[in-house]
Amino acid sequence: MKHPAALAALVVAALALGACAPVAPYQRGYLARDDMALDAHPGLAKALEKTFAAKEAASGGATVGGSGCGCN
Amino acid sequence: MRAALALPILVVPAKAGAAEVGEVGITVLGYKERGLMKVTEPVLWGRARVMEVWEIQGSAAVDIVSGASPQLVSNQSGRPVQTITGASVEDYRKLVDVKVTRHFDDFALSLSGAYSDEHDYRSKAFGVEGRFDFNQRNTTLAVGYGQSNDRVSSTDDPTLDAPRDTRDYLVGVTQVLSPTALVQSTLTAARGKGWFSDPYKVTFTFFPAGLPIVARDSRPDHRNTLAWLTRYRAHFPAAGGTLQADYRFYRDDWGIRAHTLDVGWQQTISERWALRPGLRYHTQQAADFYSPVSPRPQPEVLSSDQRLASFGGVSPSLRAIVKLDSGFAFEATLGYIYNARNLRFGGSGSPAFETLRAYYGIVGITRAF
Repeated sequence: MKHPAALAALVVAALALGACAPVAPYQRGYLARDDMALDAHPGLAKALEKTFAAKEAASGGATVGGSGCGCN
Repeated sequence: MRAALALPILVVPAKAGAAEVGEVGITVLGYKERGLMKVTEPVLWGRARVMEVWEIQGSAAVDIVSGASPQLVSNQSGRPVQTITGASVEDYRKLVDVKVTRHFDDFALSLSGAYSDEHDYRSKAFGVEGRFDFNQRNTTLAVGYGQSNDRVSSTDDPTLDAPRDTRDYLVGVTQVLSPTALVQSTLTAARGKGWFSDPYKVTFTFFPAGLPIVARDSRPDHRNTLAWLTRYRAHFPAAGGTLQADYRFYRDDWGIRAHTLDVGWQQTISERWALRPGLRYHTQQAADFYSPVSPRPQPEVLSSDQRLASFGGVSPSLRAIVKLDSGFAFEATLGYIYNARNLRFGGSGSPAFETLRAYYGIVGITRAF
């Protein structure tokens, strides 16, 4: 498959179909741990974004509607 | 936070019987490139759950940038090299953003806004996102739309006042895989148009005969991007550690293709202490119009900005986290960045890419309430 968007869409769809057995709410103690969070807290996330985005050509991925630049 | 909110799990600290729970924090970034820029960025942030169904988060930050920035690439010495010209840069960038989420039974709607301002760039942005839980709240679908309207100016060119407008589209899914693992995959497409050139960068090209070419940085007036980010978290109770792995594929219509892999292991040392060693690898293919020298005749679009070059980079880091009984948590991260042409995956990078060595430190304090 040459087009990465199609590949990504396929993976997203496969994930959505969810072949996994459901996890009940009382089983989610580990999932609620701080270190299981997908995003760092806003302070750390902003600092890391600033560190790398200004030196590379790629950015973005998980959010929309962020303000731009700060390039140096 | 945005992705974590997509999960039907607690995001902000819960306090029994409390109507409002949340946390506030301050984080300070220090970044130093060898021989070039120095950046300091304090960030004040907070987030809270209000009246059970509302969630609000916001942050304010200041970027303090000082030092020298490469402005000229010249081959006068025989090969193209970056040259620092003019006085040292001193710039302040102010940022503020806020996001409000309303939670319904199996649905959440978020509105966000952001504003940043510096002496030669101003950005206004907003976003709206919806998240739908199903499959007994083991699966969350997210869709989003965002827009930013920016203005570009320049201290070198007082006549420059150009727009840059971008629209973002997001679709993603978060899946609970087991009581100890989850994955999220998100596609973000952006459609940008307007001024993308760097008004400060110049390419100076000498030829064996004839006059040199002085080419101002000139990029296409559009940029359409696609970023596919997949994040995986798995906790290993027996080891007391959590694997955090992020992979992003990025492509745009400038010809850039990039892969970024960021892997960390957060190890619980005791009830209070945790350590997180991490390693980040980034590799990218150059923009079609990247060149450290200008050919003859001079092309319409050309940039020697080495951020658009082919290169790779590794960045090891170590974070220490300590939590106190009083609700305070401290954390400190130290990292090193090494970007070089020979670290590009699958081939050599741009020959003119000059190795970047930088250090950064991030310290933060958080108070839960």
